[in-house]
Amino acid sequence: MMSMQMSEADSVVKVAEWQQTYYASDSGIQSGATTVLDDESSTEYSGCKKYISTKTSTTTVPATATTVGGGNTAAGGLESPTDLDNQFSLTRAQRVRAAMFPETLVEGEEAMPVQSDPSQQSNVQLLAEPSQLLKTAIVHLINYQDDAELATRAVPELTKLLADEDPIVVNKAAMIVNQLTRKEASRRVLVQSPTMVGAVVRAMTTAVDMETARCAASVLHSLSHQKEGLLAIFKSGGIPALVRMLSSPVESVLFYAITTLHNLLLHQEGAKMAVRLADGLQRMVPLLKKSNPKFLAITTDCLQLLSYGNQESKLIILANGGPEGLVFITRNYNYEKLLWTTSRVLKVLSVCPSNKPAIVEAGGMQALGQHLTGSSQRLIQNCLWTLRNLSDAATKQDGLDGLLQILVTQLGSDDVNMLTCATGILSNLTCNNSRNKTLVTQYGGVEALIHAVLRAGEKEDVAEPAVCALRHLTSRHQDAELAQNAVRLHYGIPAVAKLLGQPHYWPVVKATVGLIRNLALCPANQAPMREAGAIPRLVNLLLKAHQDTQRHASSAQQTYQDGVRMEEIVEGCTGALHILARDPMNRGEIASMQTIPLFVQLLYSYVENVKRVSAGVLCELALDKQSAELIDAEGASAPLMELLHSNNEGIATYAAAVLFRISEDKSSDYRKRVSVELTHSLFKHDPAAWEMAHTAVPLEHTYLADELDGCYPPYGYTDLPLDSLPLDPDLHEPYIPDMTYDPRQAYPEPL
Amino acid sequence: MNREEAPGKSPEDMYVQQKVRVLLMLKKMGSNLTPSEEAFLRNYAGVVHSQMSQLPQHNIDQGAEDVVMAFSRSEAEDRRQ
Repeated sequence: MMSMQMSEADSVVKVAEWQQTYYASDSGIQSGATTVLDDESSTEYSGCKKYISTKTSTTTVPATATTVGGGNTAAGGLESPTDLDNQFSLTRAQRVRAAMFPETLVEGEEAMPVQSDPSQQSNVQLLAEPSQLLKTAIVHLINYQDDAELATRAVPELTKLLADEDPIVVNKAAMIVNQLTRKEASRRVLVQSPTMVGAVVRAMTTAVDMETARCAASVLHSLSHQKEGLLAIFKSGGIPALVRMLSSPVESVLFYAITTLHNLLLHQEGAKMAVRLADGLQRMVPLLKKSNPKFLAITTDCLQLLSYGNQESKLIILANGGPEGLVFITRNYNYEKLLWTTSRVLKVLSVCPSNKPAIVEAGGMQALGQHLTGSSQRLIQNCLWTLRNLSDAATKQDGLDGLLQILVTQLGSDDVNMLTCATGILSNLTCNNSRNKTLVTQYGGVEALIHAVLRAGEKEDVAEPAVCALRHLTSRHQDAELAQNAVRLHYGIPAVAKLLGQPHYWPVVKATVGLIRNLALCPANQAPMREAGAIPRLVNLLLKAHQDTQRHASSAQQTYQDGVRMEEIVEGCTGALHILARDPMNRGEIASMQTIPLFVQLLYSYVENVKRVSAGVLCELALDKQSAELIDAEGASAPLMELLHSNNEGIATYAAAVLFRISEDKSSDYRKRVSVELTHSLFKHDPAAWEMAHTAVPLEHTYLADELDGCYPPYGYTDLPLDSLPLDPDLHEPYIPDMTYDPRQAYPEPL
Repeated sequence: MNREEAPGKSPEDMYVQQKVRVLLMLKKMGSNLTPSEEAFLRNYAGVVHSQMSQLPQHNIDQGAEDVVMAFSRSEAEDRRQ
């Protein structure tokens, strides 16, 4: 008993000595000062306290003589024996604390006697007027060290308890650890213990009750706000465990798991790979069916982090129904942050050739189009970029009327990003889609696109798609003629002609010559085109491009400039001049620029489309007698005779027409030879027409109706399929047996 | 088949028939004809020629097919906000 009493006194002294070193308030280890509740229902330290007091031994601090510090204070004055006793027991630190923070004193520490005369404050009292802020900070520091101390002592035992066989023990331990994570000091201790974090991870994974799993997940969530915590979780196998928790039926566990994973993905190196390896994507994508917008925002952000730049992840998302889930969210939610994170995932997926059609089929275009008129600029821009990426896969989509109308409105924007996207999307959505072309024309798209072209200046990312869109609108739909006229009426012709000038950006040039060709189909546009100087610009471009192709003719390689072949420019310019040549004055101007020799040379091109357009322009030029003579003088008969046998009926027709026009003044022998060649070409695919041609003059209505409804090959840049009979080799003998068609050779002798 | 002469038809008749066909096809493709060619057709194609204006424009005249632009070549990260 005596020894016990003495050990108790020793303990008090020892705690006091301990307090000297730490400037700490009483931890309650002896006095129980911090006890609040009983340990049965408590989650506070009292439970710990009782546990510690029964489990740990008394701290064995070596006894040292208590120091009194500086003896008398500067306060001076007489002191009572009690005061002296108190001073004897208080350290200097305690006396400072007593002066500054009397509320932190414990029993046994009394405030220093204060001088009654305010004019004679002690130095300590002078010091005892720090700002409230400083005071608060120091109090926190005092408490901080206390919690850290406590946690350090508790961690080893808690680690063991988390692995206990008794699930109730594990549950309690998890709850305690969860509480420890609520304070920064103790949390810092926990993150520095990998074994503790590992034990929490295992407890979460093996938990038999939801509460334990929830507590453990909450612990990891708290720890994931620090770098050390993230690393500890990562190193302790936390990621696979958290991914497994994504299948939990408990909402709070799900929330903790996804949020912790999100923090890891954001800030922990190696986390993305680990989540992918743990099949995280396969678990996350089904979560898109949940209905909590904030939860969905975090989940979609995880998907974006995992799939950006990673093709395999994109395919996994696709395989698990990602596009449908993301489009559903886009269509049905209004929470801006969720819409933004979702649009970011869609943007990432929209560059994937496999995801793209799936997003379009799921209604992605229509869903994204819903968010182009809101107040969130970042959302609008993301939707636009995504729509632009998807647009080439959406040319056959229905129900885009609203989107098209919004895009036409956005053509009025000064924002270059918005313009780039709007023009690009419109260009693709009007591609081979007559309904969309008609709608855009009706919505005033022609005028808006002209203004976009004018504002684009040298920004090719705007100019090229804008011109392409105009080119689409001016052909192959019921309002094409309306669009052709609209370009002129909105003063677009000079702007279009100007695009042919230098500096040449070849994709824009290529699109522009195609647009000019379409505009020239409208007779009312012919004179404005001439007045805008389109003809000399086209001829100069043609010459330049042709010279380039000739320069590289000896090498097998095709030449590209800005991704465009010069053969395409040759073809496009000649095609535009062909249609412009329908106007008599234009025809004269074209011929006067010494173009006939070049057109005749182009008849020898290996590119079928070039042959067609050059035969076409010569056909128009040959309407003028003088030009017909020039064409003949250039030796065009020989290549034209060969072109009569072309599988392309357009080529054969133009060639025949030119031959007829240059043979009007020729001898009957010449005309007979033309006729014979024609016979074996024009009728070779149509034996019925051949038969009827020999039996009926004038030609009968029914024969011509059949002929004209026949399958002419479509006009286009690619090789054209032809519904033709096999050529009878016996019928096809070259009229001039030694004729060759190498374009590099001199012209053959004219007939 | 005798490629020199169709049976029962003189070379001149053949020439006329072929020219009519070519000119009709030209008109269908939207090209112009000379006044003499127009007269030729009137003389030799009769009723059919007058019906030519009712025929739809040939699709050869409508220009090349449209081609999409492939924008989704690369992805760019946007600033996290």
